[in-house]
Amino acid sequence: MRVLLAEDDMLLGDGLRAGLRQHGFQVDWVRDGQAAERELRAQPYAAAILDLGLPLKDGMAVLAEVRRANVMLPILILTARDTVPDRVKGLDVGADDYVVKPVDLQELAARLRALVRRAHGQPQDKLQIQDITLDPAAMQVQQAGKPVALSAREFDLLHALMLNADRVLSREQLEQHLYSWGKEVDSNAVEVHIHHLRRKLGGSLVQTVRGVGYMLPRGDRSS
Amino acid sequence: MKIMPASLQGRLLIVVISVVMAVWTLIVSMTWFDARHELDELLDSHLAQGAALLIAQQTREAGEEEHDLDSPVLHRYAPKVAFQVFHEGHLTMRSANAPGSPMIPLETHHSGSFASVAIGGQMWRVFVAQGGDRDVTVIVGEQMASRMSILRAVLRSMLWPMILALPLLTGAAWWAVSRGLSPLRGLAHTLMQRHPRSLQPLEVDDAPSEMQPAIKALNELFDRITALMAADSRFTADAAHELRTPIAATRMQAQVALGEADEAARRHALEATIAGCDRANRLIEQLLTLSRLDASAAPDTSRLNLSDLVRSVVAELAPLALRKQQSIEVAAEGDCAVNGEPTLLAVLIRNIVDNAIRYSPSDAILKVSVMPQDGQIALRVEDSGPGMLDKHLQRVGDRFFRVLGSGQEGSGLGLSIVQRIAAAHGAKVSCSRSTNLGGLAVDVVFSSA
Repeated sequence: MRVLLAEDDMLLGDGLRAGLRQHGFQVDWVRDGQAAERELRAQPYAAAILDLGLPLKDGMAVLAEVRRANVMLPILILTARDTVPDRVKGLDVGADDYVVKPVDLQELAARLRALVRRAHGQPQDKLQIQDITLDPAAMQVQQAGKPVALSAREFDLLHALMLNADRVLSREQLEQHLYSWGKEVDSNAVEVHIHHLRRKLGGSLVQTVRGVGYMLPRGDRSS
Repeated sequence: MKIMPASLQGRLLIVVISVVMAVWTLIVSMTWFDARHELDELLDSHLAQGAALLIAQQTREAGEEEHDLDSPVLHRYAPKVAFQVFHEGHLTMRSANAPGSPMIPLETHHSGSFASVAIGGQMWRVFVAQGGDRDVTVIVGEQMASRMSILRAVLRSMLWPMILALPLLTGAAWWAVSRGLSPLRGLAHTLMQRHPRSLQPLEVDDAPSEMQPAIKALNELFDRITALMAADSRFTADAAHELRTPIAATRMQAQVALGEADEAARRHALEATIAGCDRANRLIEQLLTLSRLDASAAPDTSRLNLSDLVRSVVAELAPLALRKQQSIEVAAEGDCAVNGEPTLLAVLIRNIVDNAIRYSPSDAILKVSVMPQDGQIALRVEDSGPGMLDKHLQRVGDRFFRVLGSGQEGSGLGLSIVQRIAAAHGAKVSCSRSTNLGGLAVDVVFSSA
């Protein structure tokens, strides 16, 4: 899952990026408010972590701007400002969650997963489609009760498809879901990963819509 | 020795009653002397008149034989008056209570004179009068005791109402004083009722004008305490806030290290954890320096040469600058003696120079100069770094103010500390754009010793 991290403190930003990677997130890190706003408007992140005391543009102003521009993605404010008025304002301006520093890494990851899940209308953390169960917290996939070994990329791809079940995702969209900046992406990377998924989970699981992209149907395969 | 009672009411009462009694005593003694004088005049004139009547009668009866007059007792007051009539030196007539000899020696007292004499153990007031042909001499006398009893009666009639009035007056004065002091009690009550942490201004209904200065002073005190407490709690809140980020970073890095399988990444996270601890520690040290500065009044100063101090501090920090390939030079001229506390002044210089090194890029030029200027000593630290925007220059020295996005760690307390130390030494700090090097210039101007 690709998330945006906007944090100006070098030490904390570095730690957050490393920690979130451990929990299976692809992290893009920006260090000022203007860059944060630009990225939020342009990229299809699953979620964003926003510090409030950012240089160039305050986090609260960034939040207000992107919400005005109808950016829907879940945004989590991570800040040292802990007063109730600050929290109320943050949530009212458009944050989906408000976390005061310092935060536990496990908790932050869980909150991000919860935000992403809710944004996709999923009631619980484990995703279940057909006979496939995906556990984002444990980063495990089971088919008919048996564990299936997937690479991190394959897992991310399946996760994206399951979150957007019954919707067609283009190859570009899937690429953006999978890779943070600076990663070399082969032009046929998505095709390769889809191929692997079909091999491991069955050929009819992921359907190809020619000229458009890929889709994972919610309905039972047997019906 | 304490003679006045502790309560204001008691003191006022004692003063009021003492004054009343003193005035009364004065009135009574004046009345006493006045009444005695008037009474003497009146009764003396009666004596004289009595004598004149006797002479007139004796002149008419001249030639008759001598006889003792056993004057009848006409009234119970009669024994208090007496008379003697002499014809050519012989007693011819006297009242029953008059002695046989003249009441006063006739040779020594002229006609028409009064005298006070002791006769038979009693004091008498006597008057001597002679008839026109000098053969008749009359002495009339009156007991002094009767005069005294009149005076005493007059005095009694004055003193009784006063003695009766005294408790009433005391009560009335007590009530009046108590009523007059009631706003004071009201104020005390209001103060007692207040919540210990309440710093609202006092409002006392119809406080007399004498109490206004005290109430005003109290309210000003409350205002000052409010401001102090607000500054204090703001500082605490700011400090806690500033500590949050390094602690959050430290915690995050430690957690990353725990969960990291890759050895190099784990090592990086652990090093970052230590860096976070160092940063929190530096912040705490600066906070402690500031709070110590806030707590102590005036530092113990001694005469010292600022040039020497600058040289030693720059020598200490130069390796940092050299590591960043910066060039740093000191220009210290002449006698730059100031009065100051050496440890604090070293902290001041270190903070300014450290800032310059930290916020200037590699290959920057830093210049530290100390020189006498218009009878003062000017310390200047300038650099060829990025300098500061005008709006940031204005906020330099605000606690926790930092120019965000500098890419440097910092607490935003360094220049606060500089300003606080400078203020304790009566020195002025100003920041501007360096005209020589183009970066930031920090000036501290001391008065020379």
